[in-house]
Amino acid sequence: MHKLILLLGLFFSNLLFANTADGEPNYTAIIMFVLFVGVTLFITYWASKKTHTAKSFYTAGGNITGLQNGLAISGDFMSAASFLGISGLVYLSGFDGLIYSIGFLIGWPIILLLIAEPLRNLGKYSFSDVVSFRLKQKPIRILAACGSLSTVILYLIAQMVGAGKLIEILFGLPYYSAVMIVGGLMISYVTFGGMLATTWVQIIKAVLLLSGATLMAFLVLYQFEFDFNQFFSKAVNVHSKGENIMAPGGLISDPVSAISLGLALMFGTAGLPHILMRFFTVPDAVEARKSVVYATGFIGYFYILTFIIGFGAIVLVSNNPEYLNDSGALIGNNNMAAIHLSHAVGGDILLGFISAVAFATILAVVSGLTLAGASAISHDLYANAFLTGKNNEKMEIKVSKLATIFLGVLAVFLGILFEEQNVAFMVGLAFAIAATTNFPILILSIYWKNLTTRGAVIGGSAGLFIAILLVILGPVVWVDIFGNNEAIFPYKYPALFSMVVTFVGIWFFSKTDKSKNSTAEKELFESQYFRSQTGVGIDKPNAH
Amino acid sequence: MQIRATKEIYQQLKEARIKIIIPLILLAITSYFSFIWVIAFKPIFFGILIFDTNVSIGIFLGFLLILLIFLVTLTYVYLANKILEPLIKKIQNNA
Repeated sequence: MHKLILLLGLFFSNLLFANTADGEPNYTAIIMFVLFVGVTLFITYWASKKTHTAKSFYTAGGNITGLQNGLAISGDFMSAASFLGISGLVYLSGFDGLIYSIGFLIGWPIILLLIAEPLRNLGKYSFSDVVSFRLKQKPIRILAACGSLSTVILYLIAQMVGAGKLIEILFGLPYYSAVMIVGGLMISYVTFGGMLATTWVQIIKAVLLLSGATLMAFLVLYQFEFDFNQFFSKAVNVHSKGENIMAPGGLISDPVSAISLGLALMFGTAGLPHILMRFFTVPDAVEARKSVVYATGFIGYFYILTFIIGFGAIVLVSNNPEYLNDSGALIGNNNMAAIHLSHAVGGDILLGFISAVAFATILAVVSGLTLAGASAISHDLYANAFLTGKNNEKMEIKVSKLATIFLGVLAVFLGILFEEQNVAFMVGLAFAIAATTNFPILILSIYWKNLTTRGAVIGGSAGLFIAILLVILGPVVWVDIFGNNEAIFPYKYPALFSMVVTFVGIWFFSKTDKSKNSTAEKELFESQYFRSQTGVGIDKPNAH
Repeated sequence: MQIRATKEIYQQLKEARIKIIIPLILLAITSYFSFIWVIAFKPIFFGILIFDTNVSIGIFLGFLLILLIFLVTLTYVYLANKILEPLIKKIQNNA
């Protein structure tokens, strides 16, 4: 615990440098920060007393209710990248922001209708439990862990770099210390408080973010007497692109990219390990179901708010010299649209509140990611692939805590390493990998009788490889980062191609698998399916 | 006797689930990909303003799609709790 106190000292001393736009310390932001960190660390302390077993570390004992989990899922999902990024995209080009919002949302019916209940009924701590239910533990766990870890690490880098930049701009902290504060707090939440602390950090953050965004949208619309007609017509008048902001713009230029991005967003959500992991925190399939409805409602509502906030920024920020630099662009960058808007409609107090909320958002998301990554290392790789199920729970918890610290340090290190890089493609790549590797092996293991270990391993790793390769050869990395003239692979989004590779690979190598193992795996399908549909045989939650 | 009862209920459960899931999933996927399709092939259509308002068809349909996605999840949970859950409870009690 004394390390924690040391860290807190560092944190508060840094806070003294927190500034408003005009260089004065923003006391609202400082008070909000201190409150948030204080409350969450207290929760972590409380949670640490309840976190002794592997089950409590990974799943908070399975006692989280549907509403709590719904809030926590939306907390996991509404990252600072989506709050600031989507409102920034709306600010920049209007309608296009909706394409991302809807893409992020459409994954949820898929998760609910096809995955949530079987996942809860078959798994214990991670989605690899489900995939390896009837397949061979070792190879499948390693594949699933590779899929999880690459998704988690890419996502973590994107969040870390975004966090560092954001805190740098908001509070004038040096980039390094911003990244280190985020890393330090996230390691404390997860190592000491496990899933219970992480869940409550998510819930508090979700409530803060939803109320902050609601307040902003309300204040914006209030200025137009809630008349959307007037609101949009003012935006069209002010924006340099005029009427074009009401229609699709340059985000998607050809049908292949449209479908490919659509697939990545839709099925990627259903393959994000930190989201899937949340379904093991509820006691049964009924609560799992409920949590998705709450989550979808909150997230959908949130995206409508970000859209209004983006348009609000067009109307109230883009023509106010206070928020623009000499060349007429937003101070910071377009992702600061929501932050500037908070100042425009609510002064320093709302600016402080929204900045603190953005910070809380980053912390909550990186904590969830780290926990999912740590469970891939300790539960899948260590306990089940290398110890092959010889149960040593104490060691497993120890390894998971070490893995948390390792991932936290790695995230800080990579965050600093990638400071000057364009990391926007990393979230896209994370979604592509989730859609290409995690989702197919998960869905086929639940619903396709003929899936065998050989098929899953060959198809899944081929897809993973192709997804990464196509991103490297595509315009974002090959042209924008490596500086070549022309991309070898012409599309930004690889999911359409890599998903086909995975599914065809899995189908072919499962169908042609005549080994003894494969026959046994197919025979186990019926009983697995029975359990996935009825929940007969699942673990009971911890007693209070 | 109990095993046979369980088998029958399980069969009912599987059929009922398919009847609920297939229409809902088709509704969600087709409306989403129609939306993407228009963006890819007929982006101008989404820019048309509705009657004499300043709201474009694209923005209106986009908001509607968000609502539809939520309603799909709500409908599923309503039907699952009403139709599937009693069957699942019966099987669990037999086991």
